Amino acid sequence: MNNRMEKILEGKREARKRLAALPFSEKIKLLEQLRDRSLAIAASPLKKQFSHRG
Amino acid sequence: MKATLEVINQMQADGVIGKYAIGGAVGATFYLEPAATLDIDVFVSFQNTAGSSLLTLSPIYEYLTARGFKAEKEYIVIAGWPVQFLPLGNELVEEALAQAVATEVEDAKVWVMTAEHLVAIALQTGRAKDFSRILQFVESEAIDAEKLDSILGRHGLVAKWREFKHIFIGNK
Repeated sequence: MNNRMEKILEGKREARKRLAALPFSEKIKLLEQLRDRSLAIAASPLKKQFSHRG
Repeated sequence: MKATLEVINQMQADGVIGKYAIGGAVGATFYLEPAATLDIDVFVSFQNTAGSSLLTLSPIYEYLTARGFKAEKEYIVIAGWPVQFLPLGNELVEEALAQAVATEVEDAKVWVMTAEHLVAIALQTGRAKDFSRILQFVESEAIDAEKLDSILGRHGLVAKWREFKHIFIGNK
């Protein structure tokens, strides 16, 4: 693994740690936003179009 | 989700359910970074507050549908969240409920299973998404290894854990 990739992965680990350390109420708000995005993606005509292509 | 939890707490106050604990992805969010989920898993005690046993989940459904909440397949949608009420299927889940920790979501009280119990239940359930969640717990060092070992030993999951570690973590 090269240095750049190591830095990227380390950055991701740090971001996950920061998110995990948030108060539960704040994490629930983020979870609600993630859910809304998932529902929007699931309802997207683009997703439906591509899911028929197998 | 606060409104959802308040309805569940009201169910408890009204004696429809006894103690409850949040498991699944929402429970895991207490310990880890948030991960997208579409529903809330609520494990409920069969023993209600009046001391009698619930034989089925139908009192829960009757209580909620009478208040205008709609059932959709195995869920009941409460304040926009599909909630799945799960009875305590075995001793591991019973223990997880008994040892659940109290916390709050915007002033709404809620009980969440311990990280170690969430991992043990995920291991026992054994779907791909359960294994993925276990790895999240391991990688984020959110579990107490000694406590987990004790739970796994009590519930006959040591061999399964060893196999999991061998496949996914590389330890024997």
